[in-house]
Amino acid sequence: MVVEEAKDRNIRIVQHGVFAPLRRWGIRWSLWPVHFVTSCCGVELAHSGACGYDMERLGALNYGIARQSNFIIIEGTITRKMARALRLVYEQMPDPKFVSLIGACGERGGLFWNSYNITLPHEIVPVDFFIPGCPVTPEGLIRGIRAVQEKIEGRGRTTIEFKCAELPREGGEARLVPSSPKFLAETPTVRIDVPREGELPERLKPLAEEEGVRVTAIGKNRVAIRTPAERLEEIALRLKELGFDHVKSVNIVDVPHERRMLVEYVVSSYSVRELMPVLVSLFAYVPRVSPGLQSLKHVWESADYCERELQDLFGVRFEGNPWQRRFILAPEVEAPLRKDFRLEEESYVLGEAPLAPKIEYPPEPLSYYLPVPDEVFEEAAKNDEFVLPIGPHHTGSGHLRVILRVKGDVIVDAIPDPGYVHRSMEKLAETKLYVQNIPLFERLSIADPININLGYVRTLEFALGVEPPERAKLIRTMLAELSRIGAFLYDAGIFSLFTGHSTGFMYTFSMREMLLELFVRMTGSRCTPSYVIPGGVRWDVSDEALKLTKNFTSAILHRLSKFESIFVNNPVLMERVKGVGVLTKEQAINVGIVGPFLRASGVEYDIRIAEPYEAYTELEWDVPVADDGDCLARFLLRLEEVRQSLNIVRQAVEALERTSGAVIAAEVLGEFKDAPDIRGLFFRTLGDICLPRGEFTCLTEAARGTLLFSILSDGESNVPYRVRVVTPSWMNLHGFMEAVKGQRLADFWAIYGSFGYFPPEADR
Amino acid sequence: MKMLGQILELASSNRVEIPLIEPLLGMLPPPLSELAALPLWKPLFAALVVPGFATLGLLLLLLPWIERKLCARIQWRVGPKEIVSWLGGIIQLLADSLRFLFQEVIVSRDSHRPYFTQFVLLSFIPALLPMLFVAAGTIIAIRTEYSVQIMLALVCLFPVFILGMGWSSGNRFAFVGTVREAFMYFAYEVPLILSVIAMLLVFGTGDPVAIGESGRLGIVLNPLAALVFFIATAMGTSRLPFEIPEADQELAFGPFIEYSGITFGLAYVLAYEKLYVLSALFTTLFLGGGSGPMIAPLGELSGALWFVLKVIVVMVVFAALRAIYPRFRLDQALKAGWSSILAISLLAIIISSVEVVMWA
Repeated sequence: MVVEEAKDRNIRIVQHGVFAPLRRWGIRWSLWPVHFVTSCCGVELAHSGACGYDMERLGALNYGIARQSNFIIIEGTITRKMARALRLVYEQMPDPKFVSLIGACGERGGLFWNSYNITLPHEIVPVDFFIPGCPVTPEGLIRGIRAVQEKIEGRGRTTIEFKCAELPREGGEARLVPSSPKFLAETPTVRIDVPREGELPERLKPLAEEEGVRVTAIGKNRVAIRTPAERLEEIALRLKELGFDHVKSVNIVDVPHERRMLVEYVVSSYSVRELMPVLVSLFAYVPRVSPGLQSLKHVWESADYCERELQDLFGVRFEGNPWQRRFILAPEVEAPLRKDFRLEEESYVLGEAPLAPKIEYPPEPLSYYLPVPDEVFEEAAKNDEFVLPIGPHHTGSGHLRVILRVKGDVIVDAIPDPGYVHRSMEKLAETKLYVQNIPLFERLSIADPININLGYVRTLEFALGVEPPERAKLIRTMLAELSRIGAFLYDAGIFSLFTGHSTGFMYTFSMREMLLELFVRMTGSRCTPSYVIPGGVRWDVSDEALKLTKNFTSAILHRLSKFESIFVNNPVLMERVKGVGVLTKEQAINVGIVGPFLRASGVEYDIRIAEPYEAYTELEWDVPVADDGDCLARFLLRLEEVRQSLNIVRQAVEALERTSGAVIAAEVLGEFKDAPDIRGLFFRTLGDICLPRGEFTCLTEAARGTLLFSILSDGESNVPYRVRVVTPSWMNLHGFMEAVKGQRLADFWAIYGSFGYFPPEADR
Repeated sequence: MKMLGQILELASSNRVEIPLIEPLLGMLPPPLSELAALPLWKPLFAALVVPGFATLGLLLLLLPWIERKLCARIQWRVGPKEIVSWLGGIIQLLADSLRFLFQEVIVSRDSHRPYFTQFVLLSFIPALLPMLFVAAGTIIAIRTEYSVQIMLALVCLFPVFILGMGWSSGNRFAFVGTVREAFMYFAYEVPLILSVIAMLLVFGTGDPVAIGESGRLGIVLNPLAALVFFIATAMGTSRLPFEIPEADQELAFGPFIEYSGITFGLAYVLAYEKLYVLSALFTTLFLGGGSGPMIAPLGELSGALWFVLKVIVVMVVFAALRAIYPRFRLDQALKAGWSSILAISLLAIIISSVEVVMWA
């Protein structure tokens, strides 16, 4: 079916026939959106379904799967991988069916325009109504449903009429964005081990005397170790013996003009306290053509998924990694992160291709492929097992697919198939100015935006050597903790939904609604504030907003206790989650999970303690740690963290009420030092920042765990040479899959919920 | 003509007595009045109006709405409303069923076509047949000593049809859901039957009219049996916390996953039908059936009214469970069914026996 022909076909269906009026009336008030979450706008979709906005008022009940519903709300980004699923879901739905599309990225790509992995949804399925916004507000979404209802009734409407307005312009000079220093270096110098002040940890000293190995301190607690490629494994083993027990990130940098690639393992320690803040980048150069890489999976199990991902992104092979198939990318994209891969924009400028991304559909639904080899099915059949693929279109899967092998009711093996929301942020970041990447990376997790912002901005500040003023630090701390609460509430809502408890979902989302109102008052946006900028924050918070925040910290307690009494203390829930999905301390360290989930397994590791940032050292708070490592511990630990966060917020508000002063560093403002804040000066002050040569890695404790940003700059361009993001959910995926094995089928969702796994964050 | 006369005579001899409309019937000339009174012939009235077809239909349209509204209320929101704002969206289910009716029905390639399409219709046999044995007060279609037993037997047929539906769907999730349904069947069936036996022991009869007229409240006589019956009903009708075979977030409606359009509409109300039958049974056995203050002008309808009201209350309690509990796991439900619930049902039988012996 060609989309053009199918356009409005369903509207025509309901307009004709003897019973047309009845049919129209029935369908109009019974638009059941299929539960098909495609991207981060799903958070706002959840909000419009929850008690703040309550989509069900209009008869729109978010429901089950394709067969029983008649309405798709496409949430923004449709990646190439998801496009197949979208098409399949659409074909599975019975006529008449309707589609509305929310989010800017679904219309022309939005923030992710020019990405290699984005498609245009209206070329895949006929769309009845577009709702712009990034993300859309629930009001907008509900308005979209209303519009579809009216369209069914036969009253199509264009909601926006663009008018041409002539604005009078009074004198003054034009405020233009500064032209960026666009000299393109033919051969940029790409180096990781640029020596900077900092000390080598005692334990690493013996390594430094080794022949052929170069150990460089590249900052405080940052060490780069360069080895020949063939000695990578040996040094890795040495490092592991020294106590570096997990991988924080695996990275590849393509350096085409030197005809080689750089493989980097960023490792750290959970078990040795003095090594906790130390990050060691173990790297080696390999030839660019036919790069044979040695997998270090057997040394650090936690490197496994990162290696699989890089195999897709760079078209390399890690010898020794058992996974040699596609992991996060669709089959048609080849090695997109190599520097010679052309994005659409480039191809268009060079006259090679049209601007719209091209996607070809497999002719048979059977080839809507499962990423697992046929042997899995054969082996399962031999062992009397049952293969159950879950997602990406499943009521309890989000945007992830997991292929479960079930024997009886017990899960034998779980094979993840992520990448359905891979919006190619790492590649896009290479095409944008440093400051333009702030809103880009924010979309990693719009349930936890401030922490993600903070992670990226702190990396910039670390590179530029800018220190934000005290007041800005306090504001950031306060907002980061609010964001942490918000992310917990989101995850707790999903958790309760996954255990079949919709009331818990509603209660947490009502609390989130309060929180988002606070964000609107302070930053101007519900989910995507982009409020944290290099050198401080955009503007000061008002006294009124501070008072509101203080009230919030006590008002939420009442609702939180109601949530606890109906959900947390529910005997059925206790029965369901206690002792389920246990990760022991050793397992947790081995698979390298992060954040509260790691602490729930008994590891005392928190970036806010290990390597304090912002105002955390000035405030009093505890890090809760649990030993059980099961679903209940993971959930209750985060609940306890919320109490600590509320505590921090309260202290920060009190401190903010006492202090006043600038909220942006003077060196950022430069010649505009009299300006109260950055408004109106943003591009003039920050538009053309250029980072010094070298790699800058910064860790931040986001709501779901350690967030790693690693920016590699060539020292002369205003865009990063390479940005590596490793998000908490991505690191937790491995732990999640480990925890699932050996549990019962129904426990999969309990474990999923307890890990707070957020696919847009994981897939990047 | 003579036969018609006989039929009319038979009908008028066993008529539902409603004093309110007697004068209206009296105003009509003789043959017409008897024709008009034909629907009041007790078996016909019971089958078609109350507690049969009309009541069932009305409840099926109302109960999901009540459930959605009630859950919405508990969850701090409004629920269906805008369709008729001033009535709180009471006709929401009408819109939903119209939509189901006019939607395409997809029969998937992997399904077993005859069974797939037939089972959803056949499943109305165990849903509608028990209606003939339900007594709304004194209104009953077929009055026998074994009404309760027959109802129970028919209700126990339900899972067979659901198994058939799931099995013929040819879907992995339907398969898992079907297996779960079969397991759950084993978990609740024995306690359910035992609790009914306990009550039959106390009442000494399976005739619902007699049980209602005995004037004894089953829930007072044997609260344990009532508890077991309640839990078994929740298990049998897939209400939370035992919504295990359908498990929205896990299996996406398990056995019904492949059904679309009107076939799904039918499958969707199936659980409610079963709930209605079991609630009627619960009302008969434990809540005194149609007993209640007599409303004189309604005559026999008074008992029916009380009966329906009680059934609605029971069903609403089941509906509210949805907003309160998360879902148990299959093995936990099985364990509960075979240990504690079974034990309680045996205790209930002992209590009944003691009562019978003491009163004898």
